[in-house]
Amino acid sequence: MPALVAGIHAKTMRCAEGKAFKHFALAWMAGTSPAMTARVFLSIVILAAPAIADEAFVTAQGADALSIVDLSKMQTVATLPIGGKPAGVAVSRDGARAFITSPEGKFLTVIDAASRTIEKRIPVEGGPLGVAVSPDGKRVYVADLYGRRLVEIDLAGGAQRSVGVGAMASGVAVAPDGKTIIVADRDDNALSLIDAATFSRVATIAVGKHPFGVTIDASGARAYSANVESDDVSVVNLASRKVVATLKCGSRPYTVALAKGRVFVANQHADSVSVFDAETLAPLQTLKVGEYPEGLAVSGDGARIYVANWFSNELWAVDAQTLKVLGKAETGDGPRAFGAFIRGTK
Amino acid sequence: MLRTLLRMRKPFTRSPWGDIAATRRRILGAAAGLAVFLPIAAFAAHGASPLKVVETTIVDAPPEKVWAVVSDFAHADWLPGVARIEASGDDVPDQARRRLIMADGGVIEELLTKRDAERMLLGVHREGDDVKRLPATNYTALITLRPAEGGKTQVEWKARFYRGYPNNDPPPELNDDVAIAAVTAMQRAYLAALKTKVEAK
Repeated sequence: MPALVAGIHAKTMRCAEGKAFKHFALAWMAGTSPAMTARVFLSIVILAAPAIADEAFVTAQGADALSIVDLSKMQTVATLPIGGKPAGVAVSRDGARAFITSPEGKFLTVIDAASRTIEKRIPVEGGPLGVAVSPDGKRVYVADLYGRRLVEIDLAGGAQRSVGVGAMASGVAVAPDGKTIIVADRDDNALSLIDAATFSRVATIAVGKHPFGVTIDASGARAYSANVESDDVSVVNLASRKVVATLKCGSRPYTVALAKGRVFVANQHADSVSVFDAETLAPLQTLKVGEYPEGLAVSGDGARIYVANWFSNELWAVDAQTLKVLGKAETGDGPRAFGAFIRGTK
Repeated sequence: MLRTLLRMRKPFTRSPWGDIAATRRRILGAAAGLAVFLPIAAFAAHGASPLKVVETTIVDAPPEKVWAVVSDFAHADWLPGVARIEASGDDVPDQARRRLIMADGGVIEELLTKRDAERMLLGVHREGDDVKRLPATNYTALITLRPAEGGKTQVEWKARFYRGYPNNDPPPELNDDVAIAAVTAMQRAYLAALKTKVEAK
């Protein structure tokens, strides 16, 4: 059923009378009269496809699409054509929307996550890549890879403003209180610290070589950057704005996720995930995963991690406690899933 | 029997390995041989969209025999256009490097990123980019062998790379299509050479 919704919607995107057709199609699927109002149709869609399980919104860059994976079944249940080589993703905290960056197409796609439909496309100059959402879901932060800037988009009014950051801005993370934003300035080997209220750059913090993915912990105390070229992770104390530890990882660490008091790091060349104790920072284990792991994210309840494997076109589920592989789902070609790609139910 | 999983959108006509006078070859070869063996910058600047090309072939030989050739990172002189090889690092992943001294006098430097005898999987990263030779950057290959019917071997040569131009709005000669076509042609040539080498043994 959800796949059908997505399929029909994809057609409506190219259809001149798309809106009317979509309403007709949804009504037809629900077995009701097409004469009913749009408001009623919307509630039918929500009833027809409730979020009973966590979902993964996986950007499949080679396929130019978004693969939506039902994580209870570990199955791709919908594919949305996005265009512009989608790479970055951020799902809002309430699960209502997903935001997808298309660096080649120079736009951000806003997805209505429940109905799995494209709400709108917002042009973003340069090369939109890393993306994060404010905790209240009102603002989206997009790193422009080529323009040395972070763009803030006010979703209600559509206004954009930008702040200068370092060279090849990549990953973006927002602190849980929404007050601080971190950007990985890849080619500057540094993180930019942005004050969200004034939208100004208040500090730069030197980290390892070529930081790409950045993550902030649930308490907002620490940030972690995966440093691709120095094969390590920098642990940053956000209050003192200093690197407090460096964790040696496998070859080409790309992204970091935090779950069950542990730090997980996806290593692209090593086909592995390094696991550390978040308290002691001691290395615990190295897990073999699929080929060329990239995006890494945590389930809504914090019990599992999910890793997107770019070469083998798979999403793997791993138990964050036992570190056992729980399942694999096939995705579209070239899954990046760069960002907070899980739509949680808890 | 080559199978392209990625459709070539433009015909590839230019040979990456041009012929060159023997004299110049010897001089340049000697110069390259004298060069100090230093690791060069491992990663060049690149954009946001890695590309993938997967090519496969069937070699009429058992996997062990094919693996013996594929895994010999230091002596892969069967690669098309290679005159000789200088290698270091004893086939240890992330340490082993090779300099392919090309017949045309050019040099390609590569790092061994993976060597898994059990899974029969070899990973190679091209160090430094020369878009005149190959209009692509950050080329990384994974070569995987799998048993095929009749005691034969399926060889998969897949690559991750970026287009030759590191930013948005590439010039036509360095766009995604050109990079995909060039890598496709190169990997087909590599597989054909491997097939010839193994089957002739």
